[in-house]
Amino acid sequence: MPLLVICSILVAGGFLLAFLVATRRGQYDDLGTPAVRMLFDDNEEN
Amino acid sequence: MRTQATYNTGTTTSCTHCGEICADGTINDGEHVFCCTGCASVYALLQEHDLCAYYQGDVPAGTSQQGVERDSTTYAILDDRSVSSRFIEYADARRFRVRFALPTIHCASCVWLLERLPHIQAGLISTEVDLQRKSITIDADPRVLTVRSIAELLRSLGYEPLIHVEGTEVSRLQQHKEATRRLYLRLGVAGFAMGNIMMFSIAQYLAHGAQSVVIDPVLMSVFTWLSIGLSIPVLTYSASPWLRSAWAALRQRTVNLDVPVALGITTLFVRSVVDMATGSGEGFLDSFAGLVFFLLIGRVFQQKAFDAVTFDRTVRSFFPLSVRRSTSHGDEVVAIDALNVADTIVIRNGEVIPADAVLMSPVGYVDYSFVTGESVPVECTHGALIYAGGKAVGAALQLTVTMPVSKSYLASLWERSSGRTSRDGYRQLSDRFGKWFVWSVLAVASIGFFAWLPDVSMAMNVFTAVVIIACPCALTLAAPITFGTGMGILGRMKMYAKNIGVLRTLATVRAVVFDKTGTLTSSQPTVAYHGEVLTRDQRDAIIAVASQSTHPMSRGLVAGSTPLQFAEHVVEIPGYGITGTAGGHQIAIGSESFIKLNGFNMDARLDTQSTLIAIDGVVVGEIVVEPSLRAGVPEMILDLRGRGMQCQVVTGDSQRDQALLSESFRDDEMTFRATPADKVAHLEQLRESAQVLMIGDGLNDMSAMAVADVSIAVTENTSTLAPASDMIIPATQVHRIGGLLRYAHALRGVVITAVWFTMAYNVAVITVALTGHLTPVITAIMMPLSSLLVIGISVGGAHVYARRLS
Repeated sequence: MPLLVICSILVAGGFLLAFLVATRRGQYDDLGTPAVRMLFDDNEEN
Repeated sequence: MRTQATYNTGTTTSCTHCGEICADGTINDGEHVFCCTGCASVYALLQEHDLCAYYQGDVPAGTSQQGVERDSTTYAILDDRSVSSRFIEYADARRFRVRFALPTIHCASCVWLLERLPHIQAGLISTEVDLQRKSITIDADPRVLTVRSIAELLRSLGYEPLIHVEGTEVSRLQQHKEATRRLYLRLGVAGFAMGNIMMFSIAQYLAHGAQSVVIDPVLMSVFTWLSIGLSIPVLTYSASPWLRSAWAALRQRTVNLDVPVALGITTLFVRSVVDMATGSGEGFLDSFAGLVFFLLIGRVFQQKAFDAVTFDRTVRSFFPLSVRRSTSHGDEVVAIDALNVADTIVIRNGEVIPADAVLMSPVGYVDYSFVTGESVPVECTHGALIYAGGKAVGAALQLTVTMPVSKSYLASLWERSSGRTSRDGYRQLSDRFGKWFVWSVLAVASIGFFAWLPDVSMAMNVFTAVVIIACPCALTLAAPITFGTGMGILGRMKMYAKNIGVLRTLATVRAVVFDKTGTLTSSQPTVAYHGEVLTRDQRDAIIAVASQSTHPMSRGLVAGSTPLQFAEHVVEIPGYGITGTAGGHQIAIGSESFIKLNGFNMDARLDTQSTLIAIDGVVVGEIVVEPSLRAGVPEMILDLRGRGMQCQVVTGDSQRDQALLSESFRDDEMTFRATPADKVAHLEQLRESAQVLMIGDGLNDMSAMAVADVSIAVTENTSTLAPASDMIIPATQVHRIGGLLRYAHALRGVVITAVWFTMAYNVAVITVALTGHLTPVITAIMMPLSSLLVIGISVGGAHVYARRLS
């Protein structure tokens, strides 16, 4: 049982780590523009 | 016969590029209509590159190019490495990254176009727009492009980068970005710890509550140690802003509001760890992590509101970065700081004069509205002293610098106004409350401790329970979240407050002082023609001649229309008038003496002070500066008076608009020809009896705004100028000021409700704690519950009252 608890913590810790890395790389620097950017069609040939 | 003629009759069409209503004589290429050549050329450029999807949005996406001066030397300063390096984030031999603030970014189409620039321009590697902060980050190839050529490309599309002394400094932006990232990291750590600790706690509560549930003691100790392990980073990392601030205050032997928070956090942590380590209880580490998490959420709210607008501008932000200096070997562009006394400089139309100087040109027009508030340009002749802060109107001015930049009049004006520090009343109030709260909680806790004294462990329990349960939530959460939500709602209406203290101060304002120009009236004086009805031909002829002049009156006359005819034999006597022939009509525009000089017949009925227009030897009418109040202003003032507010006008302008204002103001409530110093004195006098709100355009009344308890700047364009004020509202929302004050008042009511709620809660809970009956389980449930209730009251209240606002 304690082993499973440790595992769950490790899994959760993995997500925390992913969040920390994403934040450091600027994932949350701009929360507004991507929402607008996805509205455009990618119909460019090049 | 005196009738009024407008210059844009005919069918109204709107510009394909910018959507503005086009006046007569616009550019029409058969298919599309444009208001000016600038808009047409931007459209042509986009069409050439097959980028017309730009216009697919609901409203035309472009920015009007009318009145934009196409001056190729403005960005010459960017060739100077020391200047351009301020905009460069990163550079190596193959690419460099540059960042500009583009105030005209406003919609999805802007993002679309700017992010497709690499298709238009060779050498651009990638572009990324930040819509919220109105900035662009561009990667480019240094072998093909320079910072200057990028700035010029952006301007050619109507996105003029801000190049000011304190415009966009990469280092400051970087700092801000780092601070925001740290906040998110702290929030992430606290949230992670809170979630996991709560899962362990539930198991422990169950074990404690129901005898039938038996949990393996090994598992229990694993839970205990994991909880402690998880909460350590919450204390050392996530909660560090409060702990550091409290520590700094204590070291200076004062108490601020962070002290009770820090005290609560540390006590909660220490007692939990002690309880858990000794096995005497389950501790409250879940509440501890939750409290820190909610506090950080409050910070995020605040941060978001700050991001919407940048206020940290000083008077130097309005000064240009560079200036054209004439030397024996031609003109050169130099940085303002490199300007010396006795240098000759050239200031073109619309540029701000950076230093006190003497006029070298025969005649020039200077708009001193920055300095004095008077909106009508002053005519200066050769040898006149021109003060820094004036704006050249019409013809370019040649000046000889007499004073270095830093010592000039405007700079001294600014330094005087910025003398008053600490205007953040909210901070002061909360610190006072913090002091009071800390001492009373400690006093109550000590009484509890001594009352239980023979029983040391019980006394310790009671002491820590009181400190923990007494949460200053009302002020740490209620005010920031209520006002923060309010700021967000107002921000959606383009009314931006500098911080939450501004809304709090607005709630208690009893007197409102208005500046006239740019606030109650439009800052661009409209020129109106009074006189005989003109034929279309005559009107075209007048515009053709007037367009040859740089005089402000003529420019006002031409504004919004493009000359269709070519004027010949144009003679202008600066300061008097202009004559010329166009479309077979001989036109003369000028003062009475000028008209007489040219042998025209005078009409005795006309006011001889004004500028007259004569066609083919006959005076047909006059042109006057037509003042007009902004929409909804009289109603707004009536509304304010209805709520018992004192309303006044203090302006640097002359009395010419008195009649217009007397509808809303009594004579003793209007002060004309007030210098900035007069305004300051007036406000200081008023402040003795009431809290004063100053509303102006933030440029020429900066010092008065600094003196007022709270100030609102009204701007035509919220993105280009962020003057030194507590709040910015667009000119179109001026009529909402009454509603804004009412909303601020309502928000204050919401905060007070939340404070009373917390007070009642604290009294009730502390009483229970003193009796020693407060079990850890109840404490753990009560703490987050009370925080959530306060947040609910705050957010709910702010939204309910906002509905009445719109």
